[in-house]
Amino acid sequence: MKKIVLKKFRLTKKVFSFPYILFLLLFVIVPLVLILVNAFLDGDNRFTFDNFKTFFTSPASTIVLGNSLLVGVITTAVCLILGYPVAYILSKMSSGRLIVLLYVLPMFINFLIRTLATKAIFIAMNVELGMGTVLFGMVYNYLPFMIMPLHTTISSIDKSYYEAAQDLGADKATVFLKTTLPLSVSGIISGITMVFIPTISSFAISQLLSNGKIFLFGDSIQLSFEQNLYGVGSIMSLVMLAFVLVSNLIMNKFNSNSDNVRRSLW
Amino acid sequence: MKRISKLFIALFALIVLLLPLLAACDPSGEGTTSAGGDTLVIYNWEDYIDGGDREMDRAPILDDFAAYYQSVTGRPLHITYTTFDTNETMLTKVLKGDAPVDLICPSEYAIEKLLTAGLLKNQKEMYSSLKSQLDGYGITLDGMSSLGKGDGNIEPDVMTVIKSQFGAVKSGDDTFDMTEYMVPYMWGTLGILYNKNIISEEELKKYGWGVLWNEQKSDELENKILMKDSVRDTYAAALFYMYEYGKLPEKYADISSAQAIINITDDDMLEAAEAILTEQREHISGYEVDFGKDDMLNEVVYADFAWSGDALWAIEESYDEETDDYFLGYYCPTGENPDTGKQRFSNIWYDGWVIPTTVKNPLAAMMFIDYMCRPESAIRNSIEIGYTCAVAKDLLASNDDVCAYIEEQEYDIDEYFDDIGRYPEINEYLGVMRDFGPRNDALVNMWQRAKAGSGVNLSLLIIIAVIVGVVALAIAAYFIAQALKLRPRKLG
Repeated sequence: MKKIVLKKFRLTKKVFSFPYILFLLLFVIVPLVLILVNAFLDGDNRFTFDNFKTFFTSPASTIVLGNSLLVGVITTAVCLILGYPVAYILSKMSSGRLIVLLYVLPMFINFLIRTLATKAIFIAMNVELGMGTVLFGMVYNYLPFMIMPLHTTISSIDKSYYEAAQDLGADKATVFLKTTLPLSVSGIISGITMVFIPTISSFAISQLLSNGKIFLFGDSIQLSFEQNLYGVGSIMSLVMLAFVLVSNLIMNKFNSNSDNVRRSLW
Repeated sequence: MKRISKLFIALFALIVLLLPLLAACDPSGEGTTSAGGDTLVIYNWEDYIDGGDREMDRAPILDDFAAYYQSVTGRPLHITYTTFDTNETMLTKVLKGDAPVDLICPSEYAIEKLLTAGLLKNQKEMYSSLKSQLDGYGITLDGMSSLGKGDGNIEPDVMTVIKSQFGAVKSGDDTFDMTEYMVPYMWGTLGILYNKNIISEEELKKYGWGVLWNEQKSDELENKILMKDSVRDTYAAALFYMYEYGKLPEKYADISSAQAIINITDDDMLEAAEAILTEQREHISGYEVDFGKDDMLNEVVYADFAWSGDALWAIEESYDEETDDYFLGYYCPTGENPDTGKQRFSNIWYDGWVIPTTVKNPLAAMMFIDYMCRPESAIRNSIEIGYTCAVAKDLLASNDDVCAYIEEQEYDIDEYFDDIGRYPEINEYLGVMRDFGPRNDALVNMWQRAKAGSGVNLSLLIIIAVIVGVVALAIAAYFIAQALKLRPRKLG
């Protein structure tokens, strides 16, 4: 028997994926199953639907969820509005790559340290901590995630498109609207995904930059688990997961509609 | 191929699962290390013990205990010291059986929870089974209060309160005397840490707990108040405030003792507390559990809802050389309001040493508790962390070594013991918070709602929308301007 196994075993490329598959199983699939199981258990490990009732009938959960989505949408919009011109201008510059690196550099410092520093600056400037400071922190933290994919996409657009458009008599605005913008849609979409999804599930930034007064969905999940309410916490995690999946699906739909565009690295 | 890959996955999984088991294995299983010494695993609060002082040439108290243990038993002791930051973290670990420890130091309600879950050892019974061994070493453990031999070195007033509340804890058909399961370590009150330059003592006396709701309508204090990001403590504050200002639900209008009010968690009370806490959001800077002391010292905020020990620690740090005074103060609103005659309540809490059923070295655990009850050890811990130790005040004050140590640490002995922040009068105005049992979930849900607030501030949203709109317009305008500038002119 042993001989046969050894004979059949060949060191193919597939074998190298086993460690990662195992990792996925242990640290992604198993926790997900645990969350799913916990969602249906009460404090004494009995089967129940009460957790769903608690979550979906509580006005607090809708407020918290609404706040999170709102913060997510605003952060994403502000990041896009600030990030697109930057990415566009940088892609036109010869030293753009280097400057992009400067934008990304702060990301190498842990975000907690940066957030604490931001808080200290706000306090020194006598700015009242609240929604405004939380949004600032979010935008500051996630802006590089918007600039990077946009820059990659815009700078990989073939220059002959512009030249052709200009040769045919299009003015600058038309060139932008007819070539650059449609050709960078995939970058916009990956940028939105990379900003929106982490924002709706983030918790530390809101807690630090509002002294716990702005209570987002991530904070709520954290509090539930901390207080031993595994059932409700698991349901919140499932709801969050649903949001992530739905927004991913929508983004993918958009992306496949523009598959004539070369996909960006991100 | 498919079968082999399955085989591989199974094998890997098995190895990964077995590794921690192998690591957790204690070869002898008797609380001894393979190197031939004893072990002791302690699970305590963060920053809750004297860690020594290298400059003053003082060893950590754990090292001193290990040396003492070796001098008594002749065996070296290896101490593993781990910490937790909230009772809930500790409970989660211990209730799930993930913490094979010898000693834990939780708060009173967490001890009650562990006790009713059947996870604690009766120290009185442990003492009788260890008696012959202890006699052999010639030690008596007289400092402990849990051996059925009286209060030991522990403050009698503290023991009275614990006995009155936890003397007969019911769990199913059984009744437990919690004093046989725990030895008090530190105790204190809940109160207000305040900035003396902003809040006067008269204001504190007049407004009591209302200070945390900015009842005096001080512009300076508005939005400069911190509350605890801890549901039980903040709920207690809400109850005390409602009582002081007559805002309790009607059916509780004739409550007249701290003990009666502090453990009510029915729906009416939760609803009232939620309204009060939601209202408070308008006046406070936020919720914290760790940075409150720093923010008070940096004068970022001017009032903080605090535990007495934290407050005393912060006051020590707030010495101002210019005025030769401390700019922070601690006030625990209890007793009668001088103006209105209305009574005010606060909370008194205890942390104590317990021995869980997972104990492997009962002798070292018992000896450690006794060592912590010695006046010399108690004062070292107390001065280091700021909290009030549970060892009797008289015993401390009459001990020459203790007094010498207090002076060496640059305190005035009389001032140290007369500080009412450190040693408040234990009376009926202070209530003990029990474990809320199954009602705890309802309380946490209330807390979630209170923290969520009533939604987003609309005016802020409008401001943001306007900013976003303006930026978008500016960008559009730029491109349009560019386009107009470069538009090829029509000839002709």
